[in-house]
Amino acid sequence: MITQTAHSTPLVTLVGPPNSGKTTLFNYLSGKHYKTVNYPGSTVDYSVSKMQDKFNINANLLDSPGIISLIPASPDEEVSVHSLYKHPKYGNPDLIIATADSTQLSRHLLLVRQLLESGFRVIVVLTMSDLLNKRNFDVSTKRLSELLNCDVIKLDGRNGTGLDKLLNLIEINLNNSLLSGKPDTTEYKLDNSSPLINMFRESEEIEKEVIFRVASTKNISKADKELQILSNYQIDSTTIKIDRFLLHKYWGIFGFFAIMSITFTSVFWLAQPLMNLVDKTFGFLANFAQASLGDTWYSDLISNGLISGIGSVLVFVPQIIILFLILGLLEDSGYLARGAMLIDKPLSKIGLNGKSFVPMLSGFACAIPAIMAARTISNKRERLLTIFIIPLISCSARLPVYALLIGFLVPNHNQWLGGVILASIYIFGIISSVVISAIINKFSKFILRNNDNSSFILELPSYRMPKLSVVINNTVTNAEQYIKRAGPTILALSIAIWMLSYFPNNNPKIEAKGLSSEQVISLKSSERLAGSYSAQLGKFIQPVMTPLGMDWRVGVSLVSAFAAREVFVSSLAMIFRVTDSSDNLQSSILHSMRNAEIEGTNQKLFTPATILGLIVFFIFALQCISTISISYKESGTWRIPLFQVLIFTGLAYIFTFITVNGLRAIGIN
Amino acid sequence: MRKASDIGFGEKAVISDIDTSHPSSRRIIEIGFTPGQEIELVNKSIFNDPLAFALRGTVIAIRKREADCIIII
Repeated sequence: MITQTAHSTPLVTLVGPPNSGKTTLFNYLSGKHYKTVNYPGSTVDYSVSKMQDKFNINANLLDSPGIISLIPASPDEEVSVHSLYKHPKYGNPDLIIATADSTQLSRHLLLVRQLLESGFRVIVVLTMSDLLNKRNFDVSTKRLSELLNCDVIKLDGRNGTGLDKLLNLIEINLNNSLLSGKPDTTEYKLDNSSPLINMFRESEEIEKEVIFRVASTKNISKADKELQILSNYQIDSTTIKIDRFLLHKYWGIFGFFAIMSITFTSVFWLAQPLMNLVDKTFGFLANFAQASLGDTWYSDLISNGLISGIGSVLVFVPQIIILFLILGLLEDSGYLARGAMLIDKPLSKIGLNGKSFVPMLSGFACAIPAIMAARTISNKRERLLTIFIIPLISCSARLPVYALLIGFLVPNHNQWLGGVILASIYIFGIISSVVISAIINKFSKFILRNNDNSSFILELPSYRMPKLSVVINNTVTNAEQYIKRAGPTILALSIAIWMLSYFPNNNPKIEAKGLSSEQVISLKSSERLAGSYSAQLGKFIQPVMTPLGMDWRVGVSLVSAFAAREVFVSSLAMIFRVTDSSDNLQSSILHSMRNAEIEGTNQKLFTPATILGLIVFFIFALQCISTISISYKESGTWRIPLFQVLIFTGLAYIFTFITVNGLRAIGIN
Repeated sequence: MRKASDIGFGEKAVISDIDTSHPSSRRIIEIGFTPGQEIELVNKSIFNDPLAFALRGTVIAIRKREADCIIII
């Protein structure tokens, strides 16, 4: 028995097939700016919001992931269908707003009719009617409303025409819900497929009745009389033509690799001028702070701890912005569905699915949304395997680390070579993920039986010009989130690492006779570091680091990178006390790295061999706590994240060892 | 008996039946492949799989193996 609780804030849920304009409507009603993506299944989680204040309707608004039917076929659909009847937090909805593409009525009415049969209170919102008008057709909401026996309105997603009517209907329906209570719903079930086929036949009949040809778009009222049966719509012929190229045997593969390599090389050289600007600003600030505060502990904290620590990471924000921008453009154009289709066959050979493409691609930005996006894969094995390999895709948090290390390897101003090396790192990450996936696929056949059906069914949306304002808006939001997520961690760790490397031997006694003041400062700081807490901690790490040809200082930075990978950069900046007379933060980090020697020896600490070793380490190591927890949440078991940490971090150590010592064996130091 | 997987590039055909014993058949129906519908093979991916069919005013990509359950006239 369910006890009726007091009527709290009413709940309105948005439901609709993928690409039916659901998120656009949600943004109108909530005043939020969630991104709409031209790829089926872009909403994987419920978004919740209040209705905008100015509408004066007190209701919670839920945006559900796109579904095509109330009978779920994948875990993401199971979750969304279940939450539709009874949301774990918000209960059952007072009202459902169902979106349907007017050009796709015979397909999209299926869900609407299943909702009505389940007993929901429904308002149908017809979207994309402008496309219908372009083809000289229109849809009669009045007739559709009569046939379905529920409210129907048209809404223009581009300018919001029809929103007033919708708000009015929402208010009326919510009032009804207040008076007569929430509707009783029964879960929609089917024993076989014949009711589905019947429902389609009926939907086709309905479509024929409500869609009519208009003589000219300006003369709609007159056109009502010229009701005409609509047999078949024209499919966007430009889209088909573009696809002839982009899905072509040779051109398609060429295009795929061209798009991917343009993405990653532009990350490197488009960002360069902006990075220089940020870099110079922080370099100037650090020097300014040190000069005006003198040789005191707080001067060191502010210039070396805070400004250099934060600056060394913020330098890379332009690169991250450009990465998000390009991914956004790709998403919005409609190419992602083609990418998925292109590599479905090769991926299916190694136990993945074409639908793994989008999660893997999002992995270049961040593993967390990427792992969540794997929900769109209906086959459990393929989904778990996708989740498993996503940490091997180089995320944006690794970009600062790679950029610094590449900066060490490549002479200044050779951005082209830098871009090529960065692209190779990314490709190496992808190849590793493919190889590991193939190996696991081979063995997991003994562990997980291959009895669930592997399938690939994906709507290919029409290409469209990406809306620049939406993409930019979304990029800014992503960059903000990146800074908000990484910022506090970096700040806190910067201070912590500064303290560990400054105390307790903060004022070492040195023989200052015959030394210049600059030499005194540098000698003081190396003495200070040698007697610091971090050096004491480092002794534990030293035995692990020696085989890699590195010392405890790199070890401490690697350990601190487990909080957030970017911290590796700020930690190096701090431990090697980078603030010198140069006005550029990056070059002073690189300068101190070039001079650093392994403690107690004359051997250089950072050499091409150790730098390449570090790059290899970062490609493999799973150093992100948030990834571990989302991997647990999405896979529903600790086995997956546990194996991920053990296998990837273990491989990282082994491969770094092989890289460093292998390179040295062939004479590259 | 011809199946949708046998259609040539650019060829049109009308669906006569769906093999409901196929595990993907329900999803195939739900996405719009129903008896009586005209479909056209508009594109193929590299390796000729998956196949992109135009139907009901949209384009839907399905694997060859899934196209096997769509029986055409």
